Amino acid sequence: MTEPSTNVKEHIPVRKILTAVVAVAFGLGLAACAPDDGPSTASGADATIDVGSLYEPQNLDNTGGGGQGVTEALNGNVYEGLFRLTDDGKVENLLVSDYSVSGDGLTYTFTLRSGVTFHSGKPLTAADAKYSLEKVIAPDSKSARKSSFGPIGGITAPGDSTLVVTLKTRSISFVYNLSYVWIVNAGNQSPTTTADGTGPYRLASWQRGATLSLSRFDGYWGTKASNKDVVFHYFTDASALNNALLTDQIDIITSEQSPDALDQFTANPAYRVNDGASTTKLLLAFNDRVAPFDNVKVRKAVYSAIDRKKLLESIWGPHGKLIGSMVPPSDPWYEDLTNANPYDIDLAKRLLAEAGHGGGFSFTLDTPNYDPHPIVATFLKSELAKVGITVTIKVISADEWYTKVFQKHDFVATLQEHVNDRDVVWYGNPDFYWGYDSPQVTRWVRQAEQAATADEQTALLKQANRQLAQDAASVWLYLYPQIVVASTRVSGYPVNGLNSQFYVYGITKREG
Amino acid sequence: MSRHRRSLVAGGILVGLTCAAALISLLWTPYPVSDTSGGRLAPVTAAHLLGTDRLGRDLATQLMVGARIALETGLGAVVVGGTLGVLVGIAAGFAQRWLDDGLAALLDIVIAFPTLLLAMLVVAARGASLGSAILALGLAMSAVVARLTRILVKRVLAQDFVTASLVSGTSWPRVVAEHVLPNIWPTLAVNLALQFGLAVLAEASLSYLGLGAPPPNQSWGRMLQEAQSTVLVAPAGLVAPGLALVVLVVGANLVADGLREVADPLARRSS
Repeated sequence: MTEPSTNVKEHIPVRKILTAVVAVAFGLGLAACAPDDGPSTASGADATIDVGSLYEPQNLDNTGGGGQGVTEALNGNVYEGLFRLTDDGKVENLLVSDYSVSGDGLTYTFTLRSGVTFHSGKPLTAADAKYSLEKVIAPDSKSARKSSFGPIGGITAPGDSTLVVTLKTRSISFVYNLSYVWIVNAGNQSPTTTADGTGPYRLASWQRGATLSLSRFDGYWGTKASNKDVVFHYFTDASALNNALLTDQIDIITSEQSPDALDQFTANPAYRVNDGASTTKLLLAFNDRVAPFDNVKVRKAVYSAIDRKKLLESIWGPHGKLIGSMVPPSDPWYEDLTNANPYDIDLAKRLLAEAGHGGGFSFTLDTPNYDPHPIVATFLKSELAKVGITVTIKVISADEWYTKVFQKHDFVATLQEHVNDRDVVWYGNPDFYWGYDSPQVTRWVRQAEQAATADEQTALLKQANRQLAQDAASVWLYLYPQIVVASTRVSGYPVNGLNSQFYVYGITKREG
Repeated sequence: MSRHRRSLVAGGILVGLTCAAALISLLWTPYPVSDTSGGRLAPVTAAHLLGTDRLGRDLATQLMVGARIALETGLGAVVVGGTLGVLVGIAAGFAQRWLDDGLAALLDIVIAFPTLLLAMLVVAARGASLGSAILALGLAMSAVVARLTRILVKRVLAQDFVTASLVSGTSWPRVVAEHVLPNIWPTLAVNLALQFGLAVLAEASLSYLGLGAPPPNQSWGRMLQEAQSTVLVAPAGLVAPGLALVVLVVGANLVADGLREVADPLARRSS
């Protein structure tokens, strides 16, 4: 037996040591169980592509109001339409092998591609296509494209591979609009939480708040995906997203929202910054139904009082683009209308005086609570103060915006981003939330839709667009940039952000 | 100078700095609050002591105006929470068994409810504004103050001279005014000073989340939020409001510390 020592270290009871050992072992065990967050080192056809995004879907159904994240992760990857809108805005056949239009333009007959199966193994039939289209136009559908299918008169599936749609009026955009319709398995009872599409990937798992994983579908009818798995990692904060790319947690950022963080990527040869075409417009949308914005002169005055160039530079630095209308350059009917309402404070004051508001007025701006809306609202308040207009900023949540502004039209003016392309036609609907009601524009939009040729359609929509700019139906503040930042290890990703879709099947990764 | 006095003086100076900034901002700021002429993210220069934000607004100006919002929220919450808390606490202190038990349980439930969550509920119901933030933080604070007041009141009521006073027929409002309040206020004051600091921090958190005073009111929390994406190119935007928060909250805590030692003779004797 040894003498008691005064050295404390020698007196650590065995039990404590055991506890420590167990704790360490437990910790190691946990660490081993934890999912591997880093990018896989596999390359080529076995690669896992880790994608970082700020837009987590709210659910997995594109007729269920799931947000732009649904399109980003699933459109073209898990679900496919009868047609595909390519990254450069062209429409091509996807699940149809061929289609024909009757002479009067009212009957469309689609022949479905053969040999296509859903991920569940069920073969694709015309009944599924019929069900999918009916789902989009159903009364409870929240699809943004629902109203554009108004001309549909009837949908039939006379054979397993034949779908016939009859229209009440001609609709030149019908095929284009079909590229938004996902063909889903009619038997899927819970499309908001499970996915059963025909795309090159099946949904492997969705951990809400963290990741959504896709795995290559080996039974895919077309060219198989160039990578094995794709994991979308979701972030709520742009800085955290950038850090994830810098620390190799992800390979690619779908849409950079923090221009000041770009320097660290442009200066580093390990990353590539891609400035693509975007269709996302930031709007100061008036409620054109209510005073004072029912007056064209007041709207034009507000438009001319805002230095859009300075705003764009403030928010996006050298990125992004000024637009003078709802139409982005990637739409066929784009025209540069940035000078239709020039930045001119004297003109703004003159218009206000002519409208009987020489002493200025006040209005409340319903401002969504997420970036960049609050800071944009602050800028507008400061700009409009220069012409005597007082803005009260009311910050509201996205849900509140949907019910208060979009559904009830209970607002005077609001800020909102509109992500879709070819959406100028919404100004032809007087019941839309902004309440622009010009019978002339409504007629042009309707005639354009019923046009026999694309040229005719383009000419009519250009005319409508010029009128919208003349009337300052809304203030189109700027077009967002679409910046994809990626590690130079990966290639083959889409760089344009049309409708926020992000096709991942062509992405490859090399070792290094 | 004794330790408690040093705490009081140091705390007073720190809180005083914030008060001075807030008061001066009422009369003068380097630039008008919504002046966007400074250029995007201008560096720290003599013209812009802390640089500018993305819109070109002077950050020193925003910091001074933010001081006003921080103090308004802190004081407002203390007034709301203090008044409500002391009233409920005294009621509970005097109450009979079942009412006392009920109130105590209710207070425990409110205290267990996270302050930020409570604040978010209030904001959801009333809309985001400085008033909502003050109300929410005041409500959360009132439970803490009420619980403390209840204990203090019970302790005072157990004293012989209070019993004597009650037995001799003194009405209870008079007992509150003559015996209870004079005996509990020193401890309450310490607690309210601490709660003030917590309220300032909570308001910054709310504003950071976009639930505080709506723009263009530049709360320090909102400044932190807006500077977050530009921290690599313009760190002053993040450091300045952060430091300002530290100064005010540490100041409030030092004042509380000093007050505690003034209020508690035992602590004073041993220091």
